Amino acid sequence: MRIIMAGFGTVGQGFAEVLHKKTDRLNRFNESVKIVAAFDSKSFVADENGLDPLELVERKKSTGSVGSEKLKSGIDVLDSVDYDVLVEVSPTNIKDGGAGLKHVEHALKNGKDVVTVNKGPLALKFSELNKLAEKKNALLRFEGSVGGAMPIINLCSENLKGERVKSIRGIFNGTCNFILSRMDKGLPFEQALKEAQQLGYAESDPSYDIDGIDTACKVVILANSIFRRNVTFSDVSITGITSVSAEAIALAAEHDMVIRLIGEVSDTVLEVSPRLIPLGHPLSVSGTLNIAQIRTDLAGPITVSGKGAGRIETASAILSDLIAIMDRRR
Amino acid sequence: MMVNADIFVRDVPGQLVGSLEPISLVDGNIVGVVHNRENIVNGRIAVNLTFEVGSAENLEKLKNIWKSRDVMISRISSVIETFPMEYLLIGDIGASQIERLIENAGKVVGLESVDVRFSSKISSKERTAMISAKVRSEDDLEKLNAFMMTACKRAKIVYIRGVGQ
Repeated sequence: MRIIMAGFGTVGQGFAEVLHKKTDRLNRFNESVKIVAAFDSKSFVADENGLDPLELVERKKSTGSVGSEKLKSGIDVLDSVDYDVLVEVSPTNIKDGGAGLKHVEHALKNGKDVVTVNKGPLALKFSELNKLAEKKNALLRFEGSVGGAMPIINLCSENLKGERVKSIRGIFNGTCNFILSRMDKGLPFEQALKEAQQLGYAESDPSYDIDGIDTACKVVILANSIFRRNVTFSDVSITGITSVSAEAIALAAEHDMVIRLIGEVSDTVLEVSPRLIPLGHPLSVSGTLNIAQIRTDLAGPITVSGKGAGRIETASAILSDLIAIMDRRR
Repeated sequence: MMVNADIFVRDVPGQLVGSLEPISLVDGNIVGVVHNRENIVNGRIAVNLTFEVGSAENLEKLKNIWKSRDVMISRISSVIETFPMEYLLIGDIGASQIERLIENAGKVVGLESVDVRFSSKISSKERTAMISAKVRSEDDLEKLNAFMMTACKRAKIVYIRGVGQ
């Protein structure tokens, strides 16, 4: 199994480390798994005999680049190396999908399997990419794009195959949940945000998280992949958490409730908004955890929870998708 | 609907089971049974039952079966199932504005009960209000949600709703 890695940031490096760590587990397929090329925004490196994942991580850390060659375009790398699976982990671009969308499209057009956690291409062009994958008999998997290590997409589409999923609602953004949890303790919004930034949970420009954009992308992915809807990012009704005042938090607390940013999706609903959650309700979790409540017709409500972000946690989802592809291609 | 009833059954073997069986016959669901052997009146033992039945019609059927089986009904009270929802309205909200909002909501759906609380920070310009409402059906809940969303949007009030049951 020959892999090209598009993007070598936090998640990419995490995946390289996991690949090294799980060599024994992957060997059960009697097929070696090797990275034959990797590129980031500036550089690339390729070797058909396989690259050492830890050396790639080391070089990225010491030089800021994954390769020694200057990158002209990721497509050039995809065209110049033979591979089986593209692992697309470049940064999310929600405006036009960015380079990530081009990479995924290009790989699928050439019949290559793709594993991605890049929400941009999935939130903007899910339907097109899915059709393209079907047409080219390629596999497109994206478990890590929603909830990081928390299993949800494959859980619904594979383990709950016999169920009709009626709705999914959950906390899909750890940064917002951290901020709201700190506000529960009496911190004003600005201070809670600053704390999230200092701890590395929020970016210097936090709008992607606090305006509900990140959660909206995930809601779109769930709607398209699990509910078979044909929606895109612009179809989501989005309200972020910036309007949640300390007074609102206090009034909710007087009623034994907390406020959490909830993404909700069903056959008719596509919404991201702050919601009042009774204390003790499964969705009243605190901190950076992600959680989802899946309502099904036969099994009733199913709740899953896990770390929604983090290099190794997200890499674990990529690994499970990669193994699923290896299973299918055997 | 959820029903709570006090009945008296004869203090002979098989009578308790004979009083519970008709609940299943009308497609009811027994939630709780308290068999009070200390409360015996004229050779009959008091039993307190809590159960769900689908409709008032089924409850009437059950009462008739009990009568035919010599089960005495001492008290029966039904609790209508309601669907609660909370709305937190953030902004410069006045009591009269809330009153109008609830009045208009009442024209869209039948409200079983409404409770309004304001934040205690009276001096603040941004006075937050919490409306706790109960309606009779999930359909009504959807209508109420839709009404609140539109009304708050029109009045430029940020609102946060609950997640229901």
